[in-house]
Amino acid sequence: MTVVLGFDTATAATAVAVVRSGSQTIELRHEPAAGERPGHATRLLGLVDEVLRAAAIELEAVDQIAVGVGPGSFTGLRIGIATARALAQGSGRPLSGVSSLLALAAGAAHDGPVMAVIDARRGEAFAALYERLTARVGPRAMRPEELAEHVSGAPGPLLAVGDGALRFRAELEAAGARVPAENDPSHGISARQICRLAAEGRAAVTGPAGGGGVTPDYQRRPDAEIARNR
Amino acid sequence: MILALETSCDDTCAAVVDATGAILANVISSQGIHDRYGGVVPEIASRHHLELINAVVDDALRRAGSTLADVRLVAVTRGPGLIGALLVGLQTAKGLAAARRLPLAPVDHLHGHVAANFLAPAAVEPPFVCLIASGGHTLLALVREPGGFELLGQTLDDAAGEAFDKGARLLGLPYPGGPALERLARDGDPEAFDFPRASRVSGLDFSFAGLKTALLYKLDDLGEAESRRLRTDLAASYQRAIVDALLARAERALGQSGIDRLALGGGVAANGELRARARGLGAVVAVPPAELCTDNAAMIGSAARFVSAQPYPDYLGLDAYASGDYGS
Ligand SMILES: [Zn+2]
Repeated sequence: MTVVLGFDTATAATAVAVVRSGSQTIELRHEPAAGERPGHATRLLGLVDEVLRAAAIELEAVDQIAVGVGPGSFTGLRIGIATARALAQGSGRPLSGVSSLLALAAGAAHDGPVMAVIDARRGEAFAALYERLTARVGPRAMRPEELAEHVSGAPGPLLAVGDGALRFRAELEAAGARVPAENDPSHGISARQICRLAAEGRAAVTGPAGGGGVTPDYQRRPDAEIARNR
Repeated sequence: MILALETSCDDTCAAVVDATGAILANVISSQGIHDRYGGVVPEIASRHHLELINAVVDDALRRAGSTLADVRLVAVTRGPGLIGALLVGLQTAKGLAAARRLPLAPVDHLHGHVAANFLAPAAVEPPFVCLIASGGHTLLALVREPGGFELLGQTLDDAAGEAFDKGARLLGLPYPGGPALERLARDGDPEAFDFPRASRVSGLDFSFAGLKTALLYKLDDLGEAESRRLRTDLAASYQRAIVDALLARAERALGQSGIDRLALGGGVAANGELRARARGLGAVVAVPPAELCTDNAAMIGSAARFVSAQPYPDYLGLDAYASGDYGS
């Protein structure tokens, strides 16, 4: 039996889950209310504690820790990954980094192509186009025109999910994508998908305890660096 | 044993200290990268902290000849500082402590600078007045007991180290300019030019923004060729103005408090003229070694000995803070 503790902080939500093969999954989330700051720093470890207690296991009983590596909010990713690495370093458990976009796509119940879209601010989205969970395009930062272009070029009816899909609903739908209703849970990154993908060996990186190899997939350089190299 | 982390600015730091204030390891990984930007870039600093922090922790433990199993308390800087940078250290500390069910001591960065004076082998006993001057902060603290400090005064605009860096840039020196300006000043006449000392700022507060502007105007007045010819005099006079401003308030604080001991801290405490002239104030002057004056985690571990630690799981929701409230 494999036990995976996983979480994601790439978007404003904080999602934490424990997945045990052959047993029920426990997932807890914090979604900030309108105008509220993300709860990454203040909620993540509390949710980890809660989820482990609900599963009646200690951190030492976890076989693997998994964390969403983005792309997404820079600060959110750092909070998630710093926490994951510290838990791994402190407990001696191995750590895996899973693409947050892949987790988003995995959570969408759709047989055809899925475009996972995370709002990247500044009129852009971090997006990737998946067919059976294999990335055909991206992940990378895209403008709405590029999103639309990839939707038009996709084989078969395409489903677009994520807070970025809601943000660019008009552009995506005009290009032929289906975007679920705003309150549909498929727009949120599920921590159980992070756990499941890690357990299935679909992690982008798996490091030893301490997880030094697990780093954010920023997909965008710091502004100062871009300005300097211009 | 206390494992301490500090990531409030651009140095990724971890240290191991014991309950007596002996330093078993004090690892400081300076990012360097910011020099080319002429200042610390928060996003770049945060990225580097995350790249370095776990290796820096491992390195500190290895140098201390210990493992996480020997750690009884985790200490970490909670603020003030760059939020994104602080959060990397804070989440790492919370995560390490949580994984091992250890208590956690959140430490104020400025209390950390004060507590650098409580480290062995040259611990200073309170009460004393502490002048902390760096690129990020400039303040006077009254230290009556090791668990805290009373803010007597602080800069209303630029920090003293910032004044050094900005002056150095105007004089064509590379960032960070403090040490370069001091070297240039050695060959100059500190009385050649009369730069402002913010004497109109009352009480024990500081102000350095006018000084930088005064240098800018002086360089304009002199023109390029004269400015170049008088570079050493300009540097010496500029440095003199900063040191005068710092020590005038320190002297006033000593007089008002009736305390005869002054401790220096912060990166500017490395300045030779400041050290030398502080000894002329007639007080007993304590200056920690240079690596304990600039940002480091040993000072955070030192402060942690005197603050109340939070047991697991009380600290899991702790957030960082960008600026402190010191009731002044
Ligand atoms: Zn400092």
